[in-house]
Amino acid sequence: MTALLEAGGLAVGYGGPPVLTDVSFRLEPGERIAVLGPNGGGKTTLFRALLGELGPSTGTLSVSGRCASVPQTERSRLDFPVSALDVALMGTIPGRPWWRRPSRADRAAARAALARVDLADRAERTYGELSGGQRQRVLIARALVQDAGVLLLDEPFTGLDATSAARLEALLAELAGEGRGVLIATHDLEQARRWDRVLCVNGRQVAFGEPDEVLTPEALAATYGGAIVTLPPTHPDPTAPHRVILPPHHHHHGPAR
Amino acid sequence: MLEPFQLPFVQRALVELLLLAVLAGTLGCWIVLRGLAFPAHAAAAAAFPGLVLADGLGFAAPLGGFGAALLFALAVGRLAARERSGHDTLTALVLVAALAAGIVLASDVFHSAASVESLLFGSLLAIGPGDVRLAAAAALVVLAATWVLGARWLAAGFDPSAARALGVRSPLPDTLLLVLVALGAVAVLSAVGALLATALLVVPAATTRLFSDRVVPWQLATVVLAAAEGTFGVWLAVKLNAPPGATIAVIAGAVFALVAAGRALAPRATEATA
Amino acid sequence: MTPVLATVAHALADPFSQRIMRRALAEVLLLAAVGGTLGCWVVLGGLSYGAESLAHGMFPGLVLAALAGVPLLLGGAAGILVAALAIVLAGRVGRDRIGRDDAVAVAVTTLFGLGALLALSPATPLGIQGLLFGDVLGTSAADLLAGAALVALVLLALWAGHWRLLAAGFDRGGARALGVAPLATDAALLTLLALAVLVAVQGLGNLLVVAVLVAPAAAARLLTRRFAPMMALAVVLGAVAGIGGLYLSYYVRVAAGASIAGLLVAAYLLARIVAAASQIRKSSGAVAS
Repeated sequence: MTALLEAGGLAVGYGGPPVLTDVSFRLEPGERIAVLGPNGGGKTTLFRALLGELGPSTGTLSVSGRCASVPQTERSRLDFPVSALDVALMGTIPGRPWWRRPSRADRAAARAALARVDLADRAERTYGELSGGQRQRVLIARALVQDAGVLLLDEPFTGLDATSAARLEALLAELAGEGRGVLIATHDLEQARRWDRVLCVNGRQVAFGEPDEVLTPEALAATYGGAIVTLPPTHPDPTAPHRVILPPHHHHHGPAR
Repeated sequence: MLEPFQLPFVQRALVELLLLAVLAGTLGCWIVLRGLAFPAHAAAAAAFPGLVLADGLGFAAPLGGFGAALLFALAVGRLAARERSGHDTLTALVLVAALAAGIVLASDVFHSAASVESLLFGSLLAIGPGDVRLAAAAALVVLAATWVLGARWLAAGFDPSAARALGVRSPLPDTLLLVLVALGAVAVLSAVGALLATALLVVPAATTRLFSDRVVPWQLATVVLAAAEGTFGVWLAVKLNAPPGATIAVIAGAVFALVAAGRALAPRATEATA
Repeated sequence: MTPVLATVAHALADPFSQRIMRRALAEVLLLAAVGGTLGCWVVLGGLSYGAESLAHGMFPGLVLAALAGVPLLLGGAAGILVAALAIVLAGRVGRDRIGRDDAVAVAVTTLFGLGALLALSPATPLGIQGLLFGDVLGTSAADLLAGAALVALVLLALWAGHWRLLAAGFDRGGARALGVAPLATDAALLTLLALAVLVAVQGLGNLLVVAVLVAPAAAARLLTRRFAPMMALAVVLGAVAGIGGLYLSYYVRVAAGASIAGLLVAAYLLARIVAAASQIRKSSGAVAS
């Protein structure tokens, strides 16, 4: 079974010294991999390398099949005069010559994808007017229209309420069930525990493997630096597991100048 | 070679330019530091219809100019707090409307089309004592304001969000800065015109910024540079029978290009030694 | 009723009995077509400062063409190339110390000053008001032909490239996964912008040209929610303002270019008021219910 993605000793940079090094992992069909790491630690850089935006400085990266990007919805323009259907239709762009209009088949595929994510009735709504969870699903529909073998989701659960989060998880499980591979950047350790593999990055690859192997205090400390607080066990039994809590992160975007 | 400097109108022009150089050095540095180039340009250009109107209706031109300039500086400057360059659709379009209004007033209402060029590009060799007095007053006011408010303008420019969080940021110092920008824009109008104000208010300060790391040395360097560019510009304009405002603008730009090129090609040699 | 209608019809048709006015009308419609369509990308892509900088920076090219007696289109093209180069260089130089926009302002002011220097120096100074504020009524048949060709090119490019521009504009980072290179779409848009400025500068002059590229689309954006209606409305607004400007110039004897620019801005302000009013009505309606 060929891996959908395979990285060996991958290092990626933006022109200077690499900001992310020693990345070696495989994504098999049907797997969900949680990508953990602090902001600025290289998760976004990794995704850009996987999408082909950045070339590897050293090491190897082989991608069989298409990668689709499902970014945080704030990265896309919420004020664009596009409907949910228009966004889904963008997924048909790679499949036709650039001067062609979307065909009837394209439109049908876009509508089917929206139906798949339970948004068939919202197809004509303006994208920016949808809720955060709905926008996330529209972007997933776009990825489905591309018929991508690999989906890269950047913190898709941020800001979602419990119902939307559960719905999204179920959808991701379905997609994996179809033989696609899914990489999900997340900060939720409990979630990561439920999936197939975990990849920890912080300037370099800290760990990769099954959740039980990877989600140890040592690996997490190496990944998140000093940002971990360990509480004393609340249970009177001293052998009860320590709780490990990560303080909330802040997205800091400095002035563009 | 030095005959131009013996002519009385040239001497008056030089006095004006030296006063404006003080303005360019102090106010100009604040404009560049706080990213107010577009508001400065907008204030000066907006003065154009005000000047035409004042001219046509017979009241003091600077008043008409200042009114329009002030309106613009305040409006645009407030938006600059949100947007990076202070340039947004509304102000850009209103500015276009102001220019259109100006030319309509000049050509079709007051029939003063002949003066349009001097309003737009300056009439440095035809300035009167009123212009010199205005420049002197503006320079004094800006110097005094820098003395009092300079530290605050610097802090607010450095980290606006932190300043607000610390409760330090009262809008008054920044509003005053915008008023001064309008004043400065009007003061340079007679020299370089409504469309080239940034040649004095922005370009010299931007040039010296390329190698200055502290505010006061930067301001001093800018005053010297602006004075030099102005003097050379007037001399060249008389020699070539060219419009002096435009000549100064081109010289200032050329100096910027040279300094920038020098910095790019020999970075270590031009490092700031603050 | 008939005499009133007849008078109105006469008033509407009268200006266009002259060939000058018919040519001006054609020019105005070309401006509306290119300004309304490309303008949507200018407004959504935050390119209005760039458009204004290109328009001001090209001034020396126009002056040289006028001095040399060469078609304005050629001088304008050279002027835009130089301006674009200067803007890119200035942006790079300035970024760390001055801020890109202010560095661009330096370049533009210098070029603009150069144009003034060239125009006002000769013994018989050039009439630059036409270059600065436009000369719609001076449109020649050759101008129209060249303008129409360029506008057709721009419209074709926008139609063919629509989905790629949309993908890159909507989600710049994710466009790569769709096979769209954002840098290529940026370059394409800027080239089309340069062509549009070149065409429009004849009628509106280099100070006012940004109005037709920004006002109709900005107004339409406030009043529509999809791309196709936005473009259509922008073109219509541009045409209405343009034709209105021609009537003003004919009947009130006011400069045509300035009138058109003024009406374009008025349309935008009106759209803002309408949009704000409907917002207020919507929110007060929600409160009431």
